Amino acid sequence: MNSAGSERVKNKRGVMGWLNPYHYNLERWAYVFQRVTGVAILLYVLGHLGDTSFFVGGPTGAGPSESSWAFVSGIVENSFGHLILVLVVLVVFFHGLNGIRLILSEFGLIFQKPSAIEYPYRPRSLKSFQRHLVWVAIALAVVAAAWASLILFR
Amino acid sequence: MLVQYATAVLAVALVSIHLLMQGVVTPYATAISFGNILSIYRNWLYAVFLESLLVVVLVHGFNGVRIILHEWNQSMSWSSWVDIGTVIATVASVGYGTRTVILAIFGGGA
Repeated sequence: MNSAGSERVKNKRGVMGWLNPYHYNLERWAYVFQRVTGVAILLYVLGHLGDTSFFVGGPTGAGPSESSWAFVSGIVENSFGHLILVLVVLVVFFHGLNGIRLILSEFGLIFQKPSAIEYPYRPRSLKSFQRHLVWVAIALAVVAAAWASLILFR
Repeated sequence: MLVQYATAVLAVALVSIHLLMQGVVTPYATAISFGNILSIYRNWLYAVFLESLLVVVLVHGFNGVRIILHEWNQSMSWSSWVDIGTVIATVASVGYGTRTVILAIFGGGA
């Protein structure tokens, strides 16, 4: 053991420190999916920046171009592209609603007051309203994705 | 994390409006038509809205990746490169998106 304060604590688990489904509860799964959906949404947004830039002729364009827009619409406006959009709506809604839950919990607004530690020793932070919000986020995400499907596949 | 929370709240509002405009308020087929998009880009209010959406979502996204990467490794050099990379990626992405908005408003040809 080194002298006090001289050994830096290292995170040796890497990505598997959080992307690990073993012994996880509902809140941990929500946390994993918050990160996974966040990265997925960022990748989609970067792609979306790319395809919307074809409205002005792409990376080398100089202004609005109807032919360039028709070109990229021909690539993305099909069943597969619409399926991707439905999945994007699903993950965006989950990420946003679960994120609101995380912000409310971070500021302690949806937790019960601390209580005496009693068997079976379940923390109050993992109870009732806060837990229900995870299911609300999932349910509303599914509803939003279903509505998007109706719009895109009508 | 304060930046993450602030951009999160803004993103929820702005993305909700964007999704409503793209298929609920305006029918989807009309919303993605060239003429409709041109008219909304040249409406200054909507252009400001789109630019705000761009900045908020990209700052939130890249800052989120920065948080994940900082958790992965805490060495001085890794942390510095993650911070620099985040700023560069954010500025580059916002710049490219802003270019699209500016060219749509002021660019020549249609």
